[in-house]
Amino acid sequence: MRNRLAGACLATAAAAALAPAAAPARPVVAHAAAKPKITMSGSTSVAPLAAKLIKGYLKKYPRRASFTLAQGGSDVGVADIAAGRVSIGNSSRDAKPSDPGGLHWYKIARDAICLSTHSSNSLGNLSQPQVQDIFSGKIRNWKDVPGSGKSGPIDLIVRTAASGTQDAFQKLFMGDVKVSTTAAQKASNGLVKAAVSSDPNAIGYLSYAFTKGLHDVAYKGVACNLRTAKAGTYPGSRNFWMITRGTPRKRSAVAKFIRWVRHSKKARKIIASEWVPLR
Amino acid sequence: MIGGMVVFVFAKAWPSFSHNGLHWFGPPAHGGSVDDQLAGIFNSPADPRRYEYTIGAWPLIWGTLLTTAGAVALGLTLALLSSIFIVEFAPPPVRRVMQPVIRLLAAVPSVVYGLIGILVLVPFVGNHLISQQRKESVVYVVQLSGSSLLVAVAILTVMIVPIMVAIMSDALRSVPRAWTEGSAALGVNRWRTVWTISVRAARPALIAATVLATARALGEAIMLSMVSGSTGFAPNPLDGLTFFLEPTRPLAATIVDNAEGLSVKPFGQTIYAFAAVLLVSTFLLSLAGWAAKQPLKRYGIAG
Repeated sequence: MRNRLAGACLATAAAAALAPAAAPARPVVAHAAAKPKITMSGSTSVAPLAAKLIKGYLKKYPRRASFTLAQGGSDVGVADIAAGRVSIGNSSRDAKPSDPGGLHWYKIARDAICLSTHSSNSLGNLSQPQVQDIFSGKIRNWKDVPGSGKSGPIDLIVRTAASGTQDAFQKLFMGDVKVSTTAAQKASNGLVKAAVSSDPNAIGYLSYAFTKGLHDVAYKGVACNLRTAKAGTYPGSRNFWMITRGTPRKRSAVAKFIRWVRHSKKARKIIASEWVPLR
Repeated sequence: MIGGMVVFVFAKAWPSFSHNGLHWFGPPAHGGSVDDQLAGIFNSPADPRRYEYTIGAWPLIWGTLLTTAGAVALGLTLALLSSIFIVEFAPPPVRRVMQPVIRLLAAVPSVVYGLIGILVLVPFVGNHLISQQRKESVVYVVQLSGSSLLVAVAILTVMIVPIMVAIMSDALRSVPRAWTEGSAALGVNRWRTVWTISVRAARPALIAATVLATARALGEAIMLSMVSGSTGFAPNPLDGLTFFLEPTRPLAATIVDNAEGLSVKPFGQTIYAFAAVLLVSTFLLSLAGWAAKQPLKRYGIAG
């Protein structure tokens, strides 16, 4: 009895030790019988778009691949694809010089970053100096912001330092001015939306897809909506990228998917629902 | 395995500690903000020789201490009184309902508590309990928007009380009946019997329950990252009532909020340093629990 128990323990330990060694080295495997797996990770802003694209792709080609979608932020996406941990990395920021080499960046869509306030706030438009003053803490009360119809301290809702949306906000809106340290740093678009929608004195920034139910503020005189972002007239828009390691082989599952995303009519329709297609 | 995990975390965290020395545990230098320092670390230049590591994590440590101590103090009182009620004074129908309810509450995942916090409690506190004047009085230092120490301690207490009640009521129930009946025979009333005999006899279990609850409170990340305030601010007790309404962000919540940046090397090492501090504090907690039981060995009741 004791020998059998010891034997069973040894077998389990051996299996546990050998299992990691047998894990697949390449995430995309083109077997004749099995469906290839495509794993994606990266930006939380790209994730809703990626989920919809995956659904649309599988509806048209149900047998071509199986997908796993993870998030973690744009930097996680770049790091994961450079290390070969996933097949496609999603990024909502442009390539930095400090990014690893050997990566191919495919632009798939554009997105608009909207400034949003609580629905009780009637603020119409903010210029860049005003945005810089509000978010850096120079202006601290709503009565110093013409058009808001409120008085009370401004509650700033921003994203954490590691977020791609924060990176885009800093570049497109703030320039060289630093965001105030009193701002509340939320970890995702969803949490920013929850904070802004429950606090009448709040102002924050979000991806266009998350702004339903909040009051959008025009930036530099241009309203933040699908039409202006597509036309390129909205100054707060950014690019969404899918990144691969090297150029994927023409017939591989990853290449077919990316080609579908960039060229097919159905993908364009999906992107056009809440984001900005490229053509 | 635990040893391996500890060694791994400390090995990864070492550069952050070695660059800062003891200043790691102090406030950010020159009255800065710990969030600014984290952003500086995240935006370090790519050259390993010029990695930025400066951090003074005191606001985060202070936030952890406040939320944990507050929740455990409140929770211990509530749990002890509740378990005495359940074991001694509750009528049988009430007891029959309370026990499964307590067990159910202990099993609710923390993210559910976090959602109730941000959707119900935080807007209530922000819009009805914090007046405009209070917000304006501190607007140059911190923003009071409802997610605060008060909500964090309240929800954390609700999270840790069920575990403590379950353990304590089991312990109170297992005090030998001969002792309690002997005390009643001597004419001592029920309340005094409970305090002087049952609770004293169950002290090892009370200590164990408190240690377990403190460990859960220390490690609570998701719920606290949603409701405790999202800024690395050290609440100031000298602010009076505003102290309870100030935001903070304990260590575990900081790890969760900044996990996106793990791939940037110095930032990842700083996050591992936070994890190392949490590991050490859990270890110190077990040590404290063991030490609290030592005097009880004299009376032969230590478990």
